[in-house]
Amino acid sequence: MTGGLLRWGDALIGTLAAAIVLTAFVLAYSPSGDARVLVISQAGAEPRHEPLDRARVLEIRGPAGITRIEIEPGRARCAESPGRQDICEASGWLQAHGEVAVSLPNRLTLQVLGTEPGFDSMHY
Amino acid sequence: MRLVMTRTLPLLLATALLVACGGEEPDTEQLGFYAFGTLVDLSLYPAGEYDVEAIGTAVQEELEILHTSWHAWEPGSLGRTNELLALQGEFSAPPSVLPLIERGREMEALSDGLFNPALGKLVAAWGFHQDEPEGPPPDDDTLAELLDDPPGMQDIERNGVRLRGTHPDLQLDFGGLAKGLAVERVLELLAEQGVEAAIFNAGGDLMTLGRPQGRPWRVGIRHPHGGVLGSIELDAGEALFTSGDYERGYDWEGERIHHVIDPRTGRPSRGIDSATVLHHDPAVADAAATTLMIAGPDAWPEYARKMGIEHALVVLEDRIEATPALAERVQPGRDREPLVVRELP
Repeated sequence: MTGGLLRWGDALIGTLAAAIVLTAFVLAYSPSGDARVLVISQAGAEPRHEPLDRARVLEIRGPAGITRIEIEPGRARCAESPGRQDICEASGWLQAHGEVAVSLPNRLTLQVLGTEPGFDSMHY
Repeated sequence: MRLVMTRTLPLLLATALLVACGGEEPDTEQLGFYAFGTLVDLSLYPAGEYDVEAIGTAVQEELEILHTSWHAWEPGSLGRTNELLALQGEFSAPPSVLPLIERGREMEALSDGLFNPALGKLVAAWGFHQDEPEGPPPDDDTLAELLDDPPGMQDIERNGVRLRGTHPDLQLDFGGLAKGLAVERVLELLAEQGVEAAIFNAGGDLMTLGRPQGRPWRVGIRHPHGGVLGSIELDAGEALFTSGDYERGYDWEGERIHHVIDPRTGRPSRGIDSATVLHHDPAVADAAATTLMIAGPDAWPEYARKMGIEHALVVLEDRIEATPALAERVQPGRDREPLVVRELP
């Protein structure tokens, strides 16, 4: 190890660097069911991505009025939306990968995603 | 050489890992819009290959035509057909309605009458022939009258394109079938447009066209009580349809009134919260999902067998039951109980 090819310090630095990269990979890309981002899809518009990192309230305007979305770290919910059937609100907190709420009057879907491979489509 | 290897190997390893960390671009393009009275979502594969806007416009236009033609209570081809059927004289049917009538007859026969598109008057009596359904529900006398010698699809005589109604209460409502036929038509349209692979999702009911190279389609299944029930990998040409008591309905004096009406009782079906069917024919998947929900917790496997359905699941209050073939394919979601397997008789 000290004979000129690699010194012990080189080996230590190399090992540490590889360990850091491996740890970062595992932390960032290992499948997780915990929600990390909210995808807001409204008919005719580009999907909007909101990280679930801090509490806040969003208001999305649609054809039937305003949908109020509450976001907390790791979860989101449709707090208020037009429509007498309250289907959007009834979905409750969305916190596991893939969970979805739909507001038909406002023509929007809310879906939370973790780091698992996303679904191509959601059946409901 | 050894020097080069010992110094470059860790570097190559680190580079490979960093590349792996770089994330993957989605291999599909998404398109969402409102049509056919619902939210439509289209996933096209491969990404970057299509004129997405042109495809979206073509699909939207087609769906608007079908929606207008097949709507159960707004003016259109089906509305006009219902008016003429009620007169009980012979008339030339609009061409767009004939496939609905034929598939409706077929589904009524397959389901032993549990799926009956001729009962539009009964559905309307429950307040479902309006965009926002509402009560009051029909009283007992009205129900008794509607259930006394109710109409069926055999009450339409057909001679080529000429039709004649033979029952005064005959009123067609193709809820539970029209969306399946619309999905079939859209997939034909996508193929005509040169689309290699796609998922077409209309209000949660969906069908695949082709499949991406090297992987299946991944579809999440929402639980009717909230959350994700599980997921399933779909191959080319598979349709997944669900009928549920949460889709359309209203509360009346503390009771949930939903839109799936049991022709035997004349009342909303009971015992099954939702029924999901996987089949290569979207019209069959659509009609069978409605039929299984009406059939109820005891009889649903019997009706699945009658209709040639191998892949089905039903959500009950305390468990999810599935046919052996579908139980094998559905991966339950996190913290979900395993599916209870029900053999087909």
